[in-house]
Amino acid sequence: MVIYLKAGGELRTKLKPDVDDYTRRVETEAGKALKDILTGIGINPAFVAFAFKDGQMKRLDYVPLDGDVITLQPPVSGG
Amino acid sequence: MANGLAGKTMRINLSTGAIRSFPTDEELYRRWHGGRGITAKILYDEVPRDAAPLGPKNIFIINSGIMSGCFIPAGSKVEFGSVSPLTNGPGDSNMGGHLGPTLKFAGYDMIIFEDVSPKPVYLFIDNETVELRDASGYWGLKSLDCEKKLKEDLGEDFEIATIGPAGENGVLFSCITHDFGRQAGRTGQGAVMGSKKLKAIAVRGNKSIHVNDLAALRKQVTEIMLRTQKHPNMIPWQKYGTAFFIQWSNANACIPAYNFQTTYYEDIDKIDGDQLVEKCLISHKACFGCWMNCGKYTKAVIPGKPEVHLEGPEYETGSLCGSNLGMKDINHVAYINWLLDNLGMDSMSGGGVIAFAMECFQRGLITEADLEGQTLKWGSVDDVEHFLDMVAHRRGIGDWFAGGTKRAAAKIGRGSEKFAMQVKGQEFSGYDGRWAPGMLLSYMTADIGAHHNRSWTITVDMAEGRERVEGRAKIVVYLQHIRPLFDTWCICRLFWGELDITPEEIVESLNHITGWGVSVQEVLRTSEMIWNLNRCHYIERNRNIGRTFDYPPARSWEDKIPSGPGQGKGLSLAQIDQMLDEYYAARGWDTSGNPTRALLEDLGLGYAADRLEKSGFLGKPIPGGIPPVRGEKYKPKAF
Amino acid sequence: MRIKVNREKCTGCRLCLQICAIEHFKEINPKKAALRIEAKFPDPGKYRPFVCTQCGKCAEVCPENAISRVASSAYIVDQDKCTNCGVCIPACPVGVVFQHPDHDFVIICNFCMLCTELCNTGAIVKWEKAASLEAKEA
Repeated sequence: MVIYLKAGGELRTKLKPDVDDYTRRVETEAGKALKDILTGIGINPAFVAFAFKDGQMKRLDYVPLDGDVITLQPPVSGG
Repeated sequence: MANGLAGKTMRINLSTGAIRSFPTDEELYRRWHGGRGITAKILYDEVPRDAAPLGPKNIFIINSGIMSGCFIPAGSKVEFGSVSPLTNGPGDSNMGGHLGPTLKFAGYDMIIFEDVSPKPVYLFIDNETVELRDASGYWGLKSLDCEKKLKEDLGEDFEIATIGPAGENGVLFSCITHDFGRQAGRTGQGAVMGSKKLKAIAVRGNKSIHVNDLAALRKQVTEIMLRTQKHPNMIPWQKYGTAFFIQWSNANACIPAYNFQTTYYEDIDKIDGDQLVEKCLISHKACFGCWMNCGKYTKAVIPGKPEVHLEGPEYETGSLCGSNLGMKDINHVAYINWLLDNLGMDSMSGGGVIAFAMECFQRGLITEADLEGQTLKWGSVDDVEHFLDMVAHRRGIGDWFAGGTKRAAAKIGRGSEKFAMQVKGQEFSGYDGRWAPGMLLSYMTADIGAHHNRSWTITVDMAEGRERVEGRAKIVVYLQHIRPLFDTWCICRLFWGELDITPEEIVESLNHITGWGVSVQEVLRTSEMIWNLNRCHYIERNRNIGRTFDYPPARSWEDKIPSGPGQGKGLSLAQIDQMLDEYYAARGWDTSGNPTRALLEDLGLGYAADRLEKSGFLGKPIPGGIPPVRGEKYKPKAF
Repeated sequence: MRIKVNREKCTGCRLCLQICAIEHFKEINPKKAALRIEAKFPDPGKYRPFVCTQCGKCAEVCPENAISRVASSAYIVDQDKCTNCGVCIPACPVGVVFQHPDHDFVIICNFCMLCTELCNTGAIVKWEKAASLEAKEA
């Protein structure tokens, strides 16, 4: 299945967007948790504060569905 | 003036009531950039080194910087500066909202208050009409109530900043409140206002601000706007503000729990960002010119208590008054936030003071007899309410805690100094430093005591090794130059820092506004100059070598983290010393932590070197010389 | 085309006021804008924008006929005819006619819609009535 991950900041560099400035298309197996998907594409989940989908915060143990567009929010740099 | 400045500065002698208005010194702004830069300069030049912070010779400054109000994103801030009663050194604190821009729309860049008023007054500004008005009808009112009354009496379009009973009573970590929920919290600026019997400032203005190149500024700002509207971080920010950070901080063993006894909180799900948005949110609230609208206007609903409205809790208050106090209900955290805002106390130091008192109670160092028969148990909102009332009115043992954790620990003794979580007298921000060495170093070396806004390094610590200290210092130095620039220019770091806007773009905006044609390198040097002036001032006032006051409390190296993902982790005193040694070297200071002549002259601060030498604390020359460039920008590699 | 207000989305950022004055006066000055934001705190704790609805009441009451429009374009003030008497101000049902000491004419909205382009939250947006409704009202 395919999901779309979006990120800004330093996470974006690691994400290597290929759809637009912020978005990367990722092919993955169904049933895999987001944190494992991230590890699989070289992103350390510790550097993701949380995931955001359809206006809702998701933990990194969320299991994405086909077609999900998920924003990866980096930690705020203090405040 | 067509450089972003409003044009006028005021000096007000509160003892005589004399108000003197004169053209703003453009050269001063060119050299010090405004905000905390100018407060540093004026305090250094004008406050006698032995002046008591709550005495008549301290100076209280309000400054709205260059960029505030100038149609740029988050151009909303205002800075307050005075010698801090908490730290006995140069102090500054800023807040968002609308006061800074409105001061400029009224025609004023800066107001400098001298001496003490014989009676409570508030400053009334309506364009050219400036009056010190009788505040006897407002003195004694809580901050939020006072703002409401002033708006009813004067007009809804007045912007108000006020202190609460805590500031009036000289609680050393008192804050200034504005816009029903924004605070200038740190360093006790509210106590200085209170010592001068200055209750509030009320401003209204309808003048224009002129910038050097409005067309270029408008074009650049519009492009940034359209770009950041599509930025992936924008929507989560707009929804949660910084409250989303609570879960991450906990999962990564940074969050303070039970007065920093540990760094993992089992009940985090009860006080996180989702809880705030689901249970408490009324509306999203923005500062002037910012569409990140990170402010959350909320209600706290607790059976048996009246419903109250407040702005927050954001991350700092959410952690320091949440997990740090053992709270298990977001409404309780919000209520404590409201108590602190309304009584007029910094919610960060406030959370630290309450937590310290709770640990003292836990250990039997204070008892119900000391607390007028009330307990002070972890997680009890009623206990906190009673305790804060004692502190705000300095009643009984509340008087000890009104001085912050350092002074309270000095009174209580019996080993409590170890867990008074402060540096130089100011309480930690909402991050533990035992498994984030750069963060600990940031607390140790911030110019205003423990605070994160100067530098924040947790992701660097994670990338470079949470148990390694090598190389952290020069990154801290760089951050201590770039981050305070926002407080100098009076714009909000959050917007500019979290949405991929580069330093070059920010400086481009600065140049469109001012016409100065400065570079990023130049502004970093200005920031370094401000930093070192403050260091010299601090050393002179406290009459000791820098090394004596740059240490964290002993918990930082004696107590390993007892639970959670960070269990067993913690730095040694040797590692802390190593970080400090590296930091001083990276700064061009000697091994005692004192600035050297070579460094100060390089920054154009030869006169500060002369003064420091006269005081006996000039840094000894460094063999091999000072580093040619101080501080190094972190380049993320491991991630 | 109209400006629609979704008031629960307003966060009080005042970008709309800034761009209005910049566009029409080339100055940064929220008090020269032709719309306003009302803040109601602490209770209920919300903002509310008020924008021009092109109702024409200001034009109706003007003793100098200084406010008019051509066909279905926006109402504008003839700055030479306007005496700044201010009779139009209380006539505006949403309170978005303004005076400013710098100028000797009143300030009204000319429907340039820039405020809707800058508003990031959707609190003020462009809104087009369906053509059938427009025809019905004509």
